[in-house]
Amino acid sequence: MAPADPTPADPTPARRSLAAWLEARFNLTEMLAFLASFGVFPAELDTTRPFREALHDAWRRPLPSYARWPRVLGLLSFLLFLFLVTTGALLAFYYQPTESEAYRAGTAIVRDVTFGWFIHQMHRWSARLLLVILAVRLWRFFFQGTYKAPREAVWMAAVVTFLAATQADLTGRLLTWTTTGYWTTVRALEVIHALPVVGPTLMFLAGGTTPDSLFLTRFYVLHIAMLPGALLLLFYLHFNGVRRVGLSHAETEGRARGETARVQMINMIILAALVFGGLVTLVTLAPTPFEPAADPALTPQGMRPPWYLLAPHAIIEMTPSMLPRWAGGLVVETILLLILVLPFLDTSAGRSLRDRRIAVAAGIVVLAFWLVLTWHGYALEVRR
Amino acid sequence: MTDTENPHTGRPGGRRTAILWLTRGFLSLWAVGAASLGIGFLKAPAREKRPGEGLVDAGTLLSLPVGGARFVRHGARPLFVVRVSETEVVALSAICTHLHCVLKWDDAGGRLLCPCHSGSFDRTGNVLAGPATRPLPQHRVEIRDDAILVRT
Amino acid sequence: MTGGALLAAAALALAAAAAPTAAADPPAGGAPRVLCGVCHPDVRVEFEQGVHAGEGFDCTSCHGGNAAAATIEAAHRAPFRGTPKRRDIPALCAGCHADLAKMTPYNIPADQYALYLTSQHGRRLAKGDESVAVCTDCHGVHDIRREDDPKSSVFARNVPTTCGRCHGAPPPGSPDGAPPVEGSPFADYQVGVHGQAFLAQANGAAPTCASCHGSHGAAPPGIGDVDKVCGHCHATARAYYREGPHARALREGTGPECAHCHGNHRIAPADIALLDTACAACHEPGSEMVKVAGGMKALIAGARDEIGRARAAVDRAAAIPLYVEDYQARLEEAHTSLVQASPVVHALDVRQVEPLTERARGIAKEVESEINGKMGERWWRRVGLLLFWFYLGLTLAVLFLIRRRALEGDPR
Repeated sequence: MAPADPTPADPTPARRSLAAWLEARFNLTEMLAFLASFGVFPAELDTTRPFREALHDAWRRPLPSYARWPRVLGLLSFLLFLFLVTTGALLAFYYQPTESEAYRAGTAIVRDVTFGWFIHQMHRWSARLLLVILAVRLWRFFFQGTYKAPREAVWMAAVVTFLAATQADLTGRLLTWTTTGYWTTVRALEVIHALPVVGPTLMFLAGGTTPDSLFLTRFYVLHIAMLPGALLLLFYLHFNGVRRVGLSHAETEGRARGETARVQMINMIILAALVFGGLVTLVTLAPTPFEPAADPALTPQGMRPPWYLLAPHAIIEMTPSMLPRWAGGLVVETILLLILVLPFLDTSAGRSLRDRRIAVAAGIVVLAFWLVLTWHGYALEVRR
Repeated sequence: MTDTENPHTGRPGGRRTAILWLTRGFLSLWAVGAASLGIGFLKAPAREKRPGEGLVDAGTLLSLPVGGARFVRHGARPLFVVRVSETEVVALSAICTHLHCVLKWDDAGGRLLCPCHSGSFDRTGNVLAGPATRPLPQHRVEIRDDAILVRT
Repeated sequence: MTGGALLAAAALALAAAAAPTAAADPPAGGAPRVLCGVCHPDVRVEFEQGVHAGEGFDCTSCHGGNAAAATIEAAHRAPFRGTPKRRDIPALCAGCHADLAKMTPYNIPADQYALYLTSQHGRRLAKGDESVAVCTDCHGVHDIRREDDPKSSVFARNVPTTCGRCHGAPPPGSPDGAPPVEGSPFADYQVGVHGQAFLAQANGAAPTCASCHGSHGAAPPGIGDVDKVCGHCHATARAYYREGPHARALREGTGPECAHCHGNHRIAPADIALLDTACAACHEPGSEMVKVAGGMKALIAGARDEIGRARAAVDRAAAIPLYVEDYQARLEEAHTSLVQASPVVHALDVRQVEPLTERARGIAKEVESEINGKMGERWWRRVGLLLFWFYLGLTLAVLFLIRRRALEGDPR
């Protein structure tokens, strides 16, 4: 059927008229295809065909499942992102981003609003899990060589996604204006302040160097608008890129079964249900306790930057005193940059582990260093 | 889209449809759960009653004799409302400014007494005797019809 | 001049020299030359820092002599007192400081000498004991500063140290900076609650030596007067003590006063543990009195523990979080009742202590049970979680079934 036939072959008169009415006015297939480009729907859709036909077609097409290792990490991260956006939107109904109101609003959410504690803890746990999964995903890309041509962009998008997610986590921590949140942010800002270019940019966006009311409001805007927008864009780039270059061999060989899109949707729903179940369990059994309000005049003991900044913290603190602090920051940024442009650095021929011996060895060394530095960054506070 | 017979199993259609709808009903309970979660969450909690915001009801003017006082519970910061004249009512903090004990009203002497270190305050909160040095903080009082309302 | 006039002049001069007269009034007109400092430079420097120098007095005001003279003989000519003897110092200072006409313009009282004569220091001095304190021992000799000057030895903050120079001083021959003698009033005061508050915590409301003993009229409170002294601040405790059997015993003969149980200088913070130890000093174990003490202790300890438990429950609830401000306010009321019970103990009557502790305990119990009721919130969450798991399990089973159907190629 070459021309788009707006009349679908459906027996039920009511449904036909509504569907037909819509189909004559909007390209419904394109709408679904747009959603598909964010990974909601696993198959490609022919946007020139009417909705029902395109769907009918796609349903039956055998595709590698996203709900299986290793692609499940990507799916999980997207699911968690959806949970975060939903719970975040709900929380925004009550939150007030000023110094005088933030703590009170947070208290009202967890104490007075029905299920407020639940939504808040879901948001928190989803955020923590998302960061871990994005980090694990990077490691699996590395070990499976999913950064070699033509997938350099997939790798870079994954790195930037992780960094953007850490920024979203950082901006989110300050919002509750609790002692832990406030002082963890202050320590994190010390680390970021020492990074050349990136540091001043963030200070510029946040409107200052110390958290006060205006700083909080701007952090809030970054947290609910800029960073989710950036993440969404990065997800789109990822899916677009994957559709263009196709899933890599390691993805499709061996365990892939030709599962139809329909089965995949069910897989995704099952996965979502399992993730939801896990989150609810964590939220109910291990909620974070109620904390006192931040007192900017009183510095508590033992406050550390968030876990993902402990390694940069250690590097910056280890800068010898004759060099300025931004020298340590420069080291951190150089390492990040090298990680980002890894596809262009690794000139080995193939994707197997044997071919990439040097790169894999280097990767393991970097991981070991990162773990040691993180531990060191953690221990710095105890010694003080 | 519904079939009356499944070519694979050959089961009769009616039961099939029943199971189908049962399944749909079962799964849609999730939607019901999510909807009640969302609506429950979005229902704004009652705000006026929380202490520290807005007006506190301190009883009626009629039931407070001239020269008398009434203790008003108000979260962590209780109050006394004292009727100093026919038309004037003063609202004082009921917490002693020395070491934060809760004061008592002495009707005979027309003053507030602190049982901890024998401090005393007069009807408008000034220190009469005892270790306190600062007078009791006052709050604004509004009288609407017969109701005494304290603005905290 | 006739011989009689000369004799009269000599007699006058002698009288002026012998009598312990007041110091001369400051000379009128411009500042005269005072040359005493030529031979006594250190003294002059000290004197210039004191308050008397600023008011126009000079060396001759107390010591006599001729300030303008350049030679010793001329300077030390009569009337010249030289270094006054210790026993003459109070009277010398009193020459001005007991004269109302002189003191009123400065708004300084003029009763210090009269008080001093009634004090232990004054009485023993009159009997000939010159080791007691005289004016200069406390106020300084030449650099006498105003009382409100922080460098003054009688500035409030410095009073214990000044008294401690004698009442706690290390024995002669000790090295400089040696600590006060163990067991001396000063050493005990430093360790006790009043000393800790005044010296260590800089709480100006705490008593010093002068607060209880007086300054010029310094004397230890006599038997029967101790509670009056302590009751100056601890009025409530004193009121109950006077109702009780100990005060009655004292009125009728002998009985314990505040210092018997609490100490006089080395006062420990008052704790109900005293009810175990202090009573046993006089009363037989198992006697009625010891039982009363035990009863009071049990009441107060019980109320205190109950409040502690309620506070812990409130803290646990606050961590969920629940709204706890009302409960915290009620616990403050309970605590107030408990604080009231402490001075009531001095009446040594369980029936007076009981209503207070029972009120405290009652409120705390109420709060605790209400909070524990609200803690059911946590339990409900777990029940909800179990139901959720159950429903999730069923849903997953259904989903897996649907999936299997779809895998089999169900054309739906």
